Amino acid sequence: MGKQETRPARRTPRPCTTILAASAAAALLVIGGCSSSDSEASNQPTPTPSATGSFAIEDPWVKAVDEGMTAAFGTLVNRGDADVRVVSATCQDVPRVELHTMSMQGGTMVMKNQPEGFTVKAGETHVLEPGGDHLMLMDLTKPIRAGDTVSCTLTLSDNRTLDFTAVAKPFTGAEEHYDPSDHGDHGEHGDHDGGHH
Amino acid sequence: MLASPRRLLATVITATVLAVLLPATPAAAHNQLINTVPERDAVLQDPPAEVVLEFVERLDPKFTTIVVTDAGRQTVATSSPEISGSRGVVRFPEPLAPGTYTVAYRVVSLDGHPVQGSFRFTVGGDTPAVAASDEPAETAAPDASATDNDTTSGVSGTTIAVSVGLAAVVLALVVGVLLRRRSRSEQR
Amino acid sequence: MTTVSTVITMADTTDAATGAAPKQPKVTRRRLLTGGALVAGGALSAAGITAGLSGAASSSRDREPSPTSFGEQVEPFYGPHQAGIATPAQAHASFVAFDLQPGVDRAALGRLMRLWTDDAARLTQGQPPLADTEPELAVLPARLTITFGFGRGLLQAAGLDDQWPDAVGSLPSFSVDRLQPRWSGGDLLIQICADDPVTVSHAQRMLIKDSRPFATVRWIQQGFLRSRGAHQEGQTQRNLLGQLDGTTNPKPGTPEFDAAVWVSEGPEWLRGGSTLVLRRIRLDLDDWDRLGRVEKEYVLGRRLDNGAPLTGVEEHDPPDFDAIDESGLYVIPEFSHIRRAHVPDPRLRMFRRFYNYDQALGADGQAEAGMIFAAYQADVQRQFVPVQRKLAEADLLNKWTIPIGSAVFAIPPGCEPGGWIGERLLA
Repeated sequence: MGKQETRPARRTPRPCTTILAASAAAALLVIGGCSSSDSEASNQPTPTPSATGSFAIEDPWVKAVDEGMTAAFGTLVNRGDADVRVVSATCQDVPRVELHTMSMQGGTMVMKNQPEGFTVKAGETHVLEPGGDHLMLMDLTKPIRAGDTVSCTLTLSDNRTLDFTAVAKPFTGAEEHYDPSDHGDHGEHGDHDGGHH
Repeated sequence: MLASPRRLLATVITATVLAVLLPATPAAAHNQLINTVPERDAVLQDPPAEVVLEFVERLDPKFTTIVVTDAGRQTVATSSPEISGSRGVVRFPEPLAPGTYTVAYRVVSLDGHPVQGSFRFTVGGDTPAVAASDEPAETAAPDASATDNDTTSGVSGTTIAVSVGLAAVVLALVVGVLLRRRSRSEQR
Repeated sequence: MTTVSTVITMADTTDAATGAAPKQPKVTRRRLLTGGALVAGGALSAAGITAGLSGAASSSRDREPSPTSFGEQVEPFYGPHQAGIATPAQAHASFVAFDLQPGVDRAALGRLMRLWTDDAARLTQGQPPLADTEPELAVLPARLTITFGFGRGLLQAAGLDDQWPDAVGSLPSFSVDRLQPRWSGGDLLIQICADDPVTVSHAQRMLIKDSRPFATVRWIQQGFLRSRGAHQEGQTQRNLLGQLDGTTNPKPGTPEFDAAVWVSEGPEWLRGGSTLVLRRIRLDLDDWDRLGRVEKEYVLGRRLDNGAPLTGVEEHDPPDFDAIDESGLYVIPEFSHIRRAHVPDPRLRMFRRFYNYDQALGADGQAEAGMIFAAYQADVQRQFVPVQRKLAEADLLNKWTIPIGSAVFAIPPGCEPGGWIGERLLA
């Protein structure tokens, strides 16, 4: 696996069929060959190919928001045999993206910037979800409407990059709070639940 | 001006009449056939121009069927039923040949219950092939295995006659009271 | 219909190692709205992910029912037709109608239908949709189907009113109608059916949540049939009049059904779809009970016990509308329901997929029971309206059945993975 450019693919948001067509063309997601409508058969594990080390994000999504900031989620999957760290992220048309964790402070869950990034151990997954680790999309200049798609890129500790597309969902659950000591420069304190419309 | 006790009496009598004619019990809460022309089992010299059926309740043209068949169970041509109030009439475009005919009807009571029945009459000098002792062909609910004589699961003809007779008596009373009232007021 | 799907089963070992709260296993598939992979990296094989991880792919499932439990049974989502029409009727249903919010345009409708299509594709396969806060409620699909319908208002909002099929048009009013606005109309419809009511409830909630930026709920009609397993598979269902209902339905999988139900003419976007007339019919059961059994059978034209026509012996005996009894009257009365509703050509019949309803006491203290009458047909004007007219004119059953709600929807065709319902109209 050679060194990859960190240039993320800049694609303008398109109808999702185009994105999927592009992905399919690049054979980046291989269909496992299941055509059964029976849930039993479709949940059987499929055979192991040789491990070449690869990383993915499954089911990415972002909270729809009118302004300010919002969070993106998904499941990070490390199929390789070495631990991998997600060190940074960017999203198209989003001025700033940070990696955030949640921790308990004084009885409430508080969000913090996580400069070290997210570690995904070899052969394991790491879930980014409301109430847990997530990507923070900040200083938005325009709304992210429900059903919009956001193109993002993750940069890994080994300099590989991972492009993905997240769809915006209406969401009002799992309220989160900033840690004021960490984000004085944003001027945004208190609830920043971005799912309201 | 009528004194209120009189008006009250009239109201009570009217209500009684109605109660008799339209009893509340389920078995009798149906539209019953009370008169036919020709009469049931009549033997006629000349073919009738029409058949008239008179019921207790007014008929709904949407749900009124009158059918005439001959002794060979063939349908005889008639006009569609002409309905006025509780009376249904079908007319014959052609004079009937001698023989025995069955008039069958299917109507719906005010409460929606279907009622059906039939009766016979004979045209021509011959005595009717069937004895004139048919059961009163009045049914509240038609039997799935209906025979020539409809089942008597409903109110019998005797009860109808008694009810009608009683109603007539009460009606006479009411009329008498009203007439007297009117003559009195005219005297003023 | 086949489902093209990718299985990625991941065990939740991560969380045990880090000590964080254990999470439910996620089973994901290639979807319209998820696309994530390395740039010019190694091929990311779904199979590889499955194998590379802890390997106990199904150990974390923790499901109590046996493999044959109907809770795990799945109806395919993708295909040329939407599911939920030819699908054998599930035990529970919810019909949810929406009014579009002002300002919702064609582009917004595209966003909504892509969100909903993705939700439906996941839920029907027993997987939680994105952002599902109760993912545990999604894992027993119980033959869930989610079927979308477009009212005329949706096409108008999209600026596509000229695409509204003449075959749908609008329903005339019928003399028997006692329609209430609260049960009528709607710009959008979702029909949610499953053999399990918790599944229906969760799917309904998820779809309503995703609709909030675009629409408000106009009405919800919920109904039921026999529970799965209560009677033999394939038996005709009974409505609350006690009547076996659906004996003459066109049979799914036959050419007659295809001709009767799937649109093959008119605007291209609807070809392979259908139309739905949804009527809420209140039953006056107290009054119906005053009829004797034989009277009821005369009103219906069929026996109550086995559904045989009055001229026949078995349920599927064809009725003989010409048979007369000894007195000269038709054995099957002129006003009987099956005579008034009869359509000789099965290709012109509507396909009836009804549900019973039995409402909790309303504000007036009255319980109300009835039928959610869902009729699918290729052409509302040719197949539904003439029958409804004949019924309104002289069906004695009208005295106990009162239409209190009415709505008409165009049912778009199905889609394939990567597509979305309504794409041919709205893209």
